[in-house]
Amino acid sequence: MTVVAEPALGDLHTVVEEVWSTFLADGNPILPADGPSEDVHWTAAITVTGAWEAQISVVLSEAAATGVGATMLAIDEATCSTADVRDALGELVNIVGGNVKSLMPGPSVLSLPLVGHGDIAPTSDLQPVRRLDLLWRGEPVVVVVHVPVQDSSTTATTT
Amino acid sequence: MHALIIDDSRTMRAIIARIVKELGFETSEAENGQEALDLLEDGLVPDICLIDWNMPLMDGYTFVTRVRQDPKWRNVTLMMVTTESEHSQIVRALAAGAHEYLIKPFTPDSIVEKLELLGLAAQEIPA
Repeated sequence: MTVVAEPALGDLHTVVEEVWSTFLADGNPILPADGPSEDVHWTAAITVTGAWEAQISVVLSEAAATGVGATMLAIDEATCSTADVRDALGELVNIVGGNVKSLMPGPSVLSLPLVGHGDIAPTSDLQPVRRLDLLWRGEPVVVVVHVPVQDSSTTATTT
Repeated sequence: MHALIIDDSRTMRAIIARIVKELGFETSEAENGQEALDLLEDGLVPDICLIDWNMPLMDGYTFVTRVRQDPKWRNVTLMMVTTESEHSQIVRALAAGAHEYLIKPFTPDSIVEKLELLGLAAQEIPA
């Protein structure tokens, strides 16, 4: 049975902070933003299927995405290529998605990540249930969890 | 000491390589389980394989199973390094023959700790 459930916002924030502090510790913490950002240049998304179904996306500005690529690969931003950014964001969303999945009912499996320059629209049967608007180095980073539109399935929220 | 790093992410291979090179390891890299198996078949003899789970072509679980089926690789230590953190997956990987299991995100210290448990840590990471 698939359970329509959503991670608690605090848990999602903890996961993102842990990933950032582990692989992107450059002295700039990831902080809550004052409001939503529409500065969408890169999107990395991963799908969870099984007992829990969802799409988890990380959306970043160009500067934030380049910063992620350069920091994770330990290279200069000036030499950080589009391919570098794409690879780093794929791994970033893989780790965020895997850790969010671990908070939810299982067993479920992760897809391989999808990374695009621009927006990656979720399928029409998914709706956003959690959104974190954050700032890293003053640049927007948005984490969104989409789950299937609720029907007659069981509904639950982790706390 | 030689570490074979198996991950479809070049970024993650680079992160792990930086850490284990600081510990004195030489490294080789493979993008998936099949490429890693090909390296072993070609004669590479790593002391340890650090293995992602979700990869195209051949995943890490299948790689572990295939390595453990062949006695000539019985001395190769296998450690999963993955975001797969469900208990059932960990049990499955260990039952298939993985010696250790490290969940991403990990710190350099957590890799050192695992390598020490496996008797493979050559030195501490310099401060």
